[in-house]
Amino acid sequence: MSKLLEVRDLTKTFPGQVALKSFDVVLAAGRTHALVGQNGSGKSTFIKILAGYHQPDPGSSAELAGHPLYLGDGKAAYRAGIRFVHQDLGLVDGLDTVDNIAMGVGYVTHRGGRINWKANTAQARDGLESLGFGNINVSRPVGSLAPSERTAVALARSMRGWEDHAHLLVLDEPTASLPGDDVERLFNAIRIMKERGVAILYVSHHIDEVFAIADDVTVLRDGQRVATHSTSELDHEGVIELMIGHRLERTQHKSRALVGAIGGLRVNGLSGGAINNLDLVVQPGEIVGVTGITGSGREMLAPLITGQTPSDAGRVEVAGRAVKNYSPDDSIRAGMAFVPADRATQGIIPLASVTHNMTLADVRRNWRRGLLRHKEETVECVELIERLSVKTSSPATPITALSGGNQQKVLFGRSLRLQPTVLVLDEPTSGIDVAAKEQILLLIDQAAQEGAAVLVVSTDTDELVRVAHRIIILSGGAIVEEFTGVDMTSENVEKAQLRSTKEGDQ
Amino acid sequence: MTSAAVVADVASNDKAPKMSWASKFGFDRFSGLYLIAAFFVFFGLTENNYLTWNGSIEFVLTEKVIVSMLALAFLVPLITGTFDLSIGANMALCLVIVNKMALETNLPDGVGAAVGMAACLVIGVINGLIVVKLRVNSFIATLGMSQVIAALIHKIHDGGQITKAFGTEYINFGKKAIFTFHWPGTHSEISLPYYFLYGLIVAFAVWYVLEHTPVGRHMFATGGNPEAARLSGVKIDRIAWGSLIASAAIAGFAGLIYSWKFGTYSNSVGPPLLFTAVGAAFFGASQLKGRPNVWGTLIAVYTLAFGIKGIGLRYPRQVDWMQPMFEGLTLILAVALASRLGIVKVARRRSDVRNEPTPEPSHPIPADIVDPIAETLESRSQ
Repeated sequence: MSKLLEVRDLTKTFPGQVALKSFDVVLAAGRTHALVGQNGSGKSTFIKILAGYHQPDPGSSAELAGHPLYLGDGKAAYRAGIRFVHQDLGLVDGLDTVDNIAMGVGYVTHRGGRINWKANTAQARDGLESLGFGNINVSRPVGSLAPSERTAVALARSMRGWEDHAHLLVLDEPTASLPGDDVERLFNAIRIMKERGVAILYVSHHIDEVFAIADDVTVLRDGQRVATHSTSELDHEGVIELMIGHRLERTQHKSRALVGAIGGLRVNGLSGGAINNLDLVVQPGEIVGVTGITGSGREMLAPLITGQTPSDAGRVEVAGRAVKNYSPDDSIRAGMAFVPADRATQGIIPLASVTHNMTLADVRRNWRRGLLRHKEETVECVELIERLSVKTSSPATPITALSGGNQQKVLFGRSLRLQPTVLVLDEPTSGIDVAAKEQILLLIDQAAQEGAAVLVVSTDTDELVRVAHRIIILSGGAIVEEFTGVDMTSENVEKAQLRSTKEGDQ
Repeated sequence: MTSAAVVADVASNDKAPKMSWASKFGFDRFSGLYLIAAFFVFFGLTENNYLTWNGSIEFVLTEKVIVSMLALAFLVPLITGTFDLSIGANMALCLVIVNKMALETNLPDGVGAAVGMAACLVIGVINGLIVVKLRVNSFIATLGMSQVIAALIHKIHDGGQITKAFGTEYINFGKKAIFTFHWPGTHSEISLPYYFLYGLIVAFAVWYVLEHTPVGRHMFATGGNPEAARLSGVKIDRIAWGSLIASAAIAGFAGLIYSWKFGTYSNSVGPPLLFTAVGAAFFGASQLKGRPNVWGTLIAVYTLAFGIKGIGLRYPRQVDWMQPMFEGLTLILAVALASRLGIVKVARRRSDVRNEPTPEPSHPIPADIVDPIAETLESRSQ
């Protein structure tokens, strides 16, 4: 194995905090190296230093392909052949693939500066084809492409201009916006690049992915490197143990038997988007998990039930009373609460404080005799902050200062404050770290114990198996299978999803 | 809580950014007040008349009530993420109606005032209709509307000034003194007119709604992230629409105050004030709270006014070019500052909500004029 990048003794301090401490790492050409760690462990800081966004403290050194590399200089990193694909991809939705790819490195031009569209188009097509995405129509706006295709465009862009050199590609949470079955296509592209001799630094929350794609893994904890191993020497539990410093208690939740009470959520003949004539009942105290592959209607179910997206037909009842399910406002008034799938765009109010974010769905509660009772509101929030163990310096802190997991807990607080009869959760643990995920699962269980009918839509089979009483598999917009009790295992649920794909193909 | 959770919480601990010397003294959040103090010291020492009641203070306090109203009119929709550029024209519309009716009818002047206000409300409703129902970007919608209003004003009164249209009763209603204070041993007296009080009442009303009612909270949420607000049960259409109606009404009231103060109409009144109002609302967003707010806006209006007054006294021949230069530069600086702090519409990017908190203050994000409401509505209509 040939050493490509070696970083030694890298330290970065921020006021009052050491983000990285004497960090060493060696990346080899033609290998995928995963960097894992909980939020705040320093992986983002490392990437930002590589990208030249942060300056490291003096004393570090780095060598790339035998030449010294000055860390903290974005231009030097670019010239040395380090490329980044960030979580948000950085694509312009309104432009087509050719334009997006040219954005990074410039257009191929005729003499005189006129753009040579033919050459640009051919290059874009070649770039994508070499990654196994030859089917993308390069003249369609990028916004209309599937998530995995968009990621491929970003990859192709990062690869352009240095096809022949073996250098370093940094992938920061590349699967964050990808539905489960698209991940494999991305992995395929990564393997192709690896074969060309590119060194890949892969940063992810998903331990499973690390084992699927990486050759080596470095674990960071509190800014320090805890271990570097070949992935063959470690297992899933082992990595988690290294990340959090001790063994994680993986408790099964769903503690009590169902009483079979009437009420809760009842859905009849719901249609809209990919969902077609769906019936569903969730009893009070019951947690029902819903999963399915992309296109099965999984993404549409929660938005339709909560009125986030208007449905074409169907009836949704909360505690026996029909909801005019045309707006989120109506469903909230009927006793529903929900946490939407995308925390950033659908959940938080960025500039507002933790308190204001938490009370948004129910500000009126603290409004008496013509005045908002700010103190009372804050006191109630502090109680929720403690109950949900949200880590924040104060209730007045802007929500964006919190980590993803803590933001998600605040959104939970927003829902729980409504004391909902029905709680609908869409991908409740996406993009948050392992420990915060455990807490969220615990909260889901508590909400059910307090009598809410809980519907959890998720692509994370493991989480559903642990928290749900019942798991429903969607395919073609309808329920195709249901698991309860001892049959409800990750293996069975995943197999059922794949079975449904084959049926869908026929 | 499991011990694993404790570890995660410690790891994701958010550190408060270290206070810089500038923020310790409040040079950022109270920059307006510091500037006023600086103007008082500098112009007070160099110009004899500057710090006297008759020399400049009375003039600034009373005249700037009008532009204060316009700044509040701009502030209200700004908070919901909507721009209303038709406020200057709206003020002129109300002013021309009240003048024209006083001039050409025998009805009491107060009826003209009521008609003028009603006309502004109608404009506000139409603005809302265009923005909310027709999904036109508010920036464009209200820019277009201000030209439509300009055309209406021409139709109502095709010509220059209207003077002496009002009866004394009407003028007195706004202009009579709340109090008069004789400076002992001199002839000078200090007094403030009633319209100053009316302006203050409007400011208090806006402040009350924004800071002490659920509606205000919903307005901030709508401006912050309309989709998240909608999913939390906020009726964002109604909020945007309502804010445009309120803004039209406040702008109309600015017209009434003008009619009390000057008792005249001229076709050069109204739209030119838009500029100062917009500048003050953005400048005000950096004051006191780090988000758009009523008192910050008023501080901004008076900071600019005292600055310009001082310039006018010190460089009487230069004021014609220095005033627009001063106002223009202040607007650009104010918006630059506000978007640097992330206060006003910035491009919403994923990096704002990265999973890992950045342990230092966020870097400046390029500001661009986006209209979150229109964007959300568009994405929904697809």
